[in-house]
Amino acid sequence: MEIKKGPQIASQFWPEFIKQKIVLIIVSQIIISIAVGCLIILSGFLAIGSIGFWLILGGFFVINLATELLIVISATRPTKDLLAAIINVSGEKSTLTPPNPNTKEYEKTGFRDALQKIYELSSVKDKQKTDESEKKDDNQELSIIEALNTTICGFITLDKNRQVIYANKPAPIHTNVDGIKIIDLLFNGNDTLDSWLDSCEEHSVHDEHVWTRIPDRLPNEEGRRFFDVIASYQKGSTAETVLTLIDRTKSYIVDEENLDFISFAAHELRGPITVIRGYLDVLGDELADVLVDDQSELFHRLVVSSNRLSGYIDNILNTSRYDRRHLKMNLAEDKISTIYDTISDDMKLRAGAQNRILNVDLPTKLPTVAADRASIGQVFGNLIDNAIKYSRDGGSVNVTAKQNGNFVDVSVTDNGIGMPESVVSQLFQKFYRSHRSRESVAGTGIGLYISKAIVESNGGTISVRSEDGKGSVFTVSLPIYSTVADKLLASNNSNVGLISEGNGWIKNHSMYRS
Amino acid sequence: MSTKTILCIEDDRFIGEMYIRSLKKAGYEIDWVVDGNDGLVAARNKSYDVILLDIMLPERHGTEILEALRGGKEDLIPKSYVIVLTNFQQDDQSRIAMEKYADAYLIKAEITPKKLISIIEKIQD
Repeated sequence: MEIKKGPQIASQFWPEFIKQKIVLIIVSQIIISIAVGCLIILSGFLAIGSIGFWLILGGFFVINLATELLIVISATRPTKDLLAAIINVSGEKSTLTPPNPNTKEYEKTGFRDALQKIYELSSVKDKQKTDESEKKDDNQELSIIEALNTTICGFITLDKNRQVIYANKPAPIHTNVDGIKIIDLLFNGNDTLDSWLDSCEEHSVHDEHVWTRIPDRLPNEEGRRFFDVIASYQKGSTAETVLTLIDRTKSYIVDEENLDFISFAAHELRGPITVIRGYLDVLGDELADVLVDDQSELFHRLVVSSNRLSGYIDNILNTSRYDRRHLKMNLAEDKISTIYDTISDDMKLRAGAQNRILNVDLPTKLPTVAADRASIGQVFGNLIDNAIKYSRDGGSVNVTAKQNGNFVDVSVTDNGIGMPESVVSQLFQKFYRSHRSRESVAGTGIGLYISKAIVESNGGTISVRSEDGKGSVFTVSLPIYSTVADKLLASNNSNVGLISEGNGWIKNHSMYRS
Repeated sequence: MSTKTILCIEDDRFIGEMYIRSLKKAGYEIDWVVDGNDGLVAARNKSYDVILLDIMLPERHGTEILEALRGGKEDLIPKSYVIVLTNFQQDDQSRIAMEKYADAYLIKAEITPKKLISIIEKIQD
């Protein structure tokens, strides 16, 4: 097989070529000089041994060689530049500097046009190439866009500034007056897309998150849809956040409509409850000396039941308000023990009536918290109610509190039936009820949902630890007042001078009138 | 405690009678009217120490009564404390007017007669 010698790529050609030519010139000059030397000797003009002879011959050789080299270099210059231009447009790496066609010299000689032609040809070729691949990409993109627009899922991609860069047709999006695309998703409480992205930007390179039952509009607006939203985050990617939205309107809307109806009904129910609780209160005093045997115990059960009924109605109304984004918290400095006092009698009665032992140990020395008294009371009531419901006859329910960093933790512990881990993660979802509780315990599945919503609206958190068969601990963490006082005072002036009384208030006249 | 006068503007008979019964027992002198117009007239004709005001009333809503009594240049009932009692909790709309003109705003279902008496006593302190 023949082995190819010499330059393999274009840029190797020029040094080789110019080397050969220089050797050729030097050799030819030596031959010419020898011939001239011979002629001088033969003519007898100078002797071979004389200095004059060598001076003339040497001068002749040097001048001739220099002249010829100069002629060759300048004569091959356009060839060299053409070669450099070709190498440059071919994309090959080279030490040759690509010539600038706009030099004065080229302009004068007209060589500029030739160089420019080479560069032009190359850019036309490039364009053709890009057009072809773009066309191919465009076709592919069009078919993907068309496909995405006909699915029932919404797809939204966001860049690192959280701007919508793509949204398919089914995605809930509107464009505002500035032409910016806005995502219409009404997240509940603190668990929003923005808060998740905040934490992603701070802590994650890649993360995923799922929200369920997220509406795009308020309850009274037409065409309201519900989505399960799956988000994935990839730091540094052009589409940093990708949202996949699964339209679950059909399955969720039924519950929502029921809840709307129930909210109206709940307001109605408050009328009869006022009467029942009121007369029980009146009769409790009047009949205290008349009731015999277990009659007073039965009377207690009436009181307990009417109080529970009232609590459930509050849960329903607050859930409805929360879902309408109308749940307002009036945060104020309060003691855990004072909050508990508002439900204490009721809880004592409730535990007693259900034969549970209620131990309440709330240290008075705990720092004050920022809380909405009525709704946090409702949360404690819900947790104790659950603890009673899911524990055994004669079992105990413990309510304790302790400081934990900037928070005060209030825990409700029972030694009841507990639950497996698979249940715990879904516990705070609306209408969630474990299979077991569906069968054995009555309930609506909104108690924990609204409790979480309330606690989070108070700037706190709610958590649970549970062991199947052994019991559960629900913990509510509320911010210590002094840690949030500045923020509250800055944003919440409207309630100064109002003392909360249940879901209502009484004016503190010592601040207003003399 | 010297006898205090109370006007109760409440259209629900069960609830009205319940308040009358326990407030009388507690030693208050109490007048009861069942519609908004009568309520406004009664409040202007006599100076009560406390006015218990329902919101959802026939003829004239509680908020209108409150506006008429305290919304003008002059407070027509300067000596009275107004306790709004309702079961229809508002979502913010007339809340500002309430906070301006009423002395207390209570949810009936949460307030038993005993509690109401303690609030009436508290508010006058």
